Amino acid sequence: MQCYEGLTVAEALYEWNYQRQLLAIRIAEARAETPHGSDLFVEEFLQERPILQAIRDAGALPPVLLIDEVDRADDEFEALLFEFLGEAAVTVPELGTFTAARPPYVVLTSNRSRELHDALRRRCLYHWIEFPEPARAVEILRRTVPGAAEPLIRDAAQFVGRVRSLELDKAPGMAETIDWLGALAALGVSELVREDVVDTLGTLAKTPDDRAAITAALDDLNAEENAGR
Amino acid sequence: MSVLSGVDRASFAIGLTDRLRRRGASATTGDAAVFAAALERSPLEEPLDVYWVGRLCLVHRACEIPIWDELYRLVFEAVELDVGRPGSSARGAPSAAADDERLAPVRGTDGGPEQGSALPWATLPALQTAVEAEDEGVALPQRLPSELSAIGDQPFDALDPADLARLGEWLEQAFSRWPTRRSRRLEPRTGGPYVDLRRTLGRARRTGWEPAVLVRSAHRRRPRRLVLVCDVSRSMEAYATSYLHLMRAAVQASDAEVFAFATELSRLTPVLAHRSVDVALERAGAVVTDRFGGTRIASNLTTLLRSRHGDLLRGAVVVIASDGWDSDPPEQLDRVMARLRRRAYRVFWLNPRAGAEGFEPRVGAMAAALPYCDRLLPAHTLRALVDAIAVVSDGRAPPTGSVTARA
Repeated sequence: MQCYEGLTVAEALYEWNYQRQLLAIRIAEARAETPHGSDLFVEEFLQERPILQAIRDAGALPPVLLIDEVDRADDEFEALLFEFLGEAAVTVPELGTFTAARPPYVVLTSNRSRELHDALRRRCLYHWIEFPEPARAVEILRRTVPGAAEPLIRDAAQFVGRVRSLELDKAPGMAETIDWLGALAALGVSELVREDVVDTLGTLAKTPDDRAAITAALDDLNAEENAGR
Repeated sequence: MSVLSGVDRASFAIGLTDRLRRRGASATTGDAAVFAAALERSPLEEPLDVYWVGRLCLVHRACEIPIWDELYRLVFEAVELDVGRPGSSARGAPSAAADDERLAPVRGTDGGPEQGSALPWATLPALQTAVEAEDEGVALPQRLPSELSAIGDQPFDALDPADLARLGEWLEQAFSRWPTRRSRRLEPRTGGPYVDLRRTLGRARRTGWEPAVLVRSAHRRRPRRLVLVCDVSRSMEAYATSYLHLMRAAVQASDAEVFAFATELSRLTPVLAHRSVDVALERAGAVVTDRFGGTRIASNLTTLLRSRHGDLLRGAVVVIASDGWDSDPPEQLDRVMARLRRRAYRVFWLNPRAGAEGFEPRVGAMAAALPYCDRLLPAHTLRALVDAIAVVSDGRAPPTGSVTARA
């Protein structure tokens, strides 16, 4: 589930299918019946959204729910998550409380564009993820870009590691590295050469300043690389 | 074999959490319970396992990781001597470290004057002002504006310390209005542009399920983020305290992010969030180590834009408080201000020297920055500062480019 500002119960937990409810009312009227609230607010008209889905999942294994970039949502949405994270339950006022048979594994991610509330932190375990070590990065790249040659993967991981030590507006992350390696692999590159790096720099540098900084430092970076061999 | 065999896990968890909290982390008793349960379930083959279990359960912020690291090192150096000895269960490992802290039951306010009673809990600092008011015999609410008018026009460097100390209160009141923005969240509002289906159908229940009344909704207004970047270099020395008060008032009032810089940029939002003025300012003083040094406005703004807090500037009202004496080249400031301008919603520049007669922004940095500012505001007296807050809170700044220096 991707978070954004203004995310409400209707997008995250559940929603009633109003169109079908109105239709049901019309049909009942045509039959000269009076519909009751208990006829309209039943499971038939309930639309599950990711959180309720995770709660009501009946599989053999507990489901895994990713709530991505929770810092992009607002405080109100954080408050919505409390019951779900604390008790693995969701309350639909008209129907009652649904409690998960197997509490789902929930992963929340945040880019720290906003401080998350302590109450939310309290219901989570906290893990801070650094840039991966070179060896780990190579493993990740090997899995995500299977088409790239082995020496290229190693060189690319090292190169990005050095680029990160430059004074950049946006240090390239793992996603950028994967894009870059993908681009290099698509071009059929087997060894890092200046021209290829410059051609594919758009995947690593995301501002004109960064582009200039990496291009300027390219010779140094390559020299280090050759010295390292 | 488990690392913690022979140790009472509950008291180990509580002891560790307690020490973590005393070092300023935010771990709670609930976290201690989770930690104890996690210890119970993990095999704990080596001390590092305890490190990771503890870090996951007890640490909630990146800034608390060093605190945990330090505590872990402290405890586990001691543990090598202590753990595994039968009978040491009641107060296992942690008692070896920092034992002197054990008997202090409640933290009081450190160093502050005792107010009336020596109760073991911290009383509200507001009590102090109440007592003061009684002493003077005038506890009328009108007292404030008249006092304000007496010192309102004095330059900050001429204020006496007592008035400076009260400054924070007045500034907090000045922030009664706050710039707002439209959020994506909807709220019910008569005549709003959207139909709230859920409420409409709820209302239809009363009219035999005929949706006779359409409940409308509109976008809610939210406080817009305010980012204050204050210069605390030597040339700003006379104003630094006042601006610290200003920053604290902003943090207290609503969604504000505050930074101070001289040669290095430091983020003051967490330290100034403390309710007590004295504690907040004292902590801020400890964070800003290069106070009253030289000024590097351009480099510091670049650092701010590059840091992970750079995204906080997006769509925010940015207020830079500085006299514009910059040791970086003006071209660099020109570049960074252009970037800042593109990211921020409004940019204001508070300059204490702008209040002087015949002020002209002729300092290189000031001249470079002005084209990117919505307004240059003088901020040399309390009145000017309160006026500046009013302009900043207004949200309706004049169109970009029309820069005015108001005296």
